[in-house]
Amino acid sequence: MSIFGKKPVETLSNGSQVNQKSLKMRIWNNRGFYLMFLPVAIFVLLVYYWPMLGIRYAFYSYKLKNIHWVGMGNFVKLFSEPDFWQSFTNTLELSIIKLLLNTFAAVLISVFLNEMKNMFMKKTIQTIIYLPHFMSYAVVAAIFTLFLSPSSTGFVNETMKEWGFLSSSIDFLHSKSLWRPIFYLINMWKETGWGTVIFLATLSGINPELYEAADIDGATRLQKIMHVTLPALSNTIIVVLILNMAKVLNMFEPVFVLYNSRVYDVSDVISTYVYRKTFLTAIPDYGYSTAVGLFKSVVGCILMLICNQASKKVRGRGIM
Amino acid sequence: MDNANLMRLGRKAEEQEYTKRRFKFSAFDFTNYIVFIIIALIVILPMWKVIVDSMNSVGVYQFRFWPENFTLDGYRTIFTTRKLFRPFMNSVVTTVAGTFLGLALSTLGGYVLNQYDMPGRSAMSMFLMITMVFTGGMIPEYLVMKQLGLVDSMWILVVKHGINVYNLVLMKNFFEGIPVSLIEAAKIDGCSAMGIFFRIVLPLSKAALASIGLMYAVTIWNDYSTVQIYITNPDQVNFQYMLRVMIMDGDTPTTAYKVSQDTLYYASIICAILPFMVAYPFLQKYFVKGVNAGAVKE
Repeated sequence: MSIFGKKPVETLSNGSQVNQKSLKMRIWNNRGFYLMFLPVAIFVLLVYYWPMLGIRYAFYSYKLKNIHWVGMGNFVKLFSEPDFWQSFTNTLELSIIKLLLNTFAAVLISVFLNEMKNMFMKKTIQTIIYLPHFMSYAVVAAIFTLFLSPSSTGFVNETMKEWGFLSSSIDFLHSKSLWRPIFYLINMWKETGWGTVIFLATLSGINPELYEAADIDGATRLQKIMHVTLPALSNTIIVVLILNMAKVLNMFEPVFVLYNSRVYDVSDVISTYVYRKTFLTAIPDYGYSTAVGLFKSVVGCILMLICNQASKKVRGRGIM
Repeated sequence: MDNANLMRLGRKAEEQEYTKRRFKFSAFDFTNYIVFIIIALIVILPMWKVIVDSMNSVGVYQFRFWPENFTLDGYRTIFTTRKLFRPFMNSVVTTVAGTFLGLALSTLGGYVLNQYDMPGRSAMSMFLMITMVFTGGMIPEYLVMKQLGLVDSMWILVVKHGINVYNLVLMKNFFEGIPVSLIEAAKIDGCSAMGIFFRIVLPLSKAALASIGLMYAVTIWNDYSTVQIYITNPDQVNFQYMLRVMIMDGDTPTTAYKVSQDTLYYASIICAILPFMVAYPFLQKYFVKGVNAGAVKE
């Protein structure tokens, strides 16, 4: 029956007909799409999959052209290195506190921005506070390095001296006790505004009838915030925290642009440790650096699974 | 007074009360405005100081609303000194090339992933999704790029950001919103798969192309860490890297330039954010547009 070009057709019980082409035919018909996918596949293989093969070097010693198997040797060395543990605890502390501070500030700003009735004002403030997100960390670090510099043109030092708060200049970014607070503040300045996007989107979805009902019951503004707005946000807050917890170990650029050798104790994170061990050492052991990276990925994976479980408990579904 | 009058008075009072409550500008509102104006100033004033100081011929620590000794020498120095202008052009070239490559690959990938009757579609999307979870890490990536000969070359920026799976998925979601009937009609008229892609799908996705293109452009323009890791040749670095080296490491022979060190620094900061500052109003509009368009499905 079926000759070239004629499609074999199956008739369903309700009389409608369904095309039942053979697999070969369907592949041939879609050949254009496979061709279109080819450049994407090549790029993904090159940029993402090929490096995955390199993970095996975690079990090798790789100096210059000299590669040989050392088994778990790199990990043994890693766990006995105090610098590594320092960077590990620093990473957790810096990125978790940064995450909590940024989220808290973003929630606070979204809640009160939501109370603003003047739409023009609201839009203008949104536009302004989103701005720093689009600047690179290098630019933000440059701006604040100049402002905080102890030289005669450093804005913060000189202004505080003029107002009598300080007697001599402080080198903020080279001070072990001040580096972390400054790091948190700069990150809040840069990312809080953008962090409000997701919360404001949630708030715009709240049913206005809830506010009307609260009005009828005679609720004040603060009571409405406490009993309508915040409960509506709680789910989003948890989602944001969980999603970001999964990648707390990946921090590199925010720290790298601000830190310096004098504050390694309080600022060195895993990624910057890997960077220093590889690119600032005369003869780097790529095997060792890969092992540090692998350890980071494994811990990151465990954190993600924990977060996934937490997410399932809280919202009834996972993060992926 | 009769009953009707009383009722009318009562209603009037009620209305007045209602208007008062609606348009009352309470102490809460007042504080709210003040606090938000302060927040906006905290964001704006540092940027304003950078702009003013970039046009002030002597470095001062004070905050000024307008440059005292106006000069554009800072900018002139950047655009006439090879050591500074070369990185700026590198940034422009890599951003333009990378944005086009990124858009090309994510539209192609996003369109193909929407072909639900194509055998192997789910395997292909799995192939892409895996890369969002697992990566080789900094060092294995470096070793691969070394083998590809991309270390010490600015094209590393284009290759590394050439495909972003997250953007590809956004593009796919947007394409899903294009009415199937349009594509069916084109098919009936004898349009090929490629023809449909270029003549129907792409012209309908201008908003998404703009917003995703801007996302690529911002990522590539702002990338500092890739350059820090891969490039040491001063001819190949981008402007972000130059800025950081200049300010943090103080690696500028400023005596060679005719401007004060601070003027040059602040002018460089402005140059490093200039393209996006110009595009920002559009960027914000397209961001919202793209996200909304991607969310609405037929």
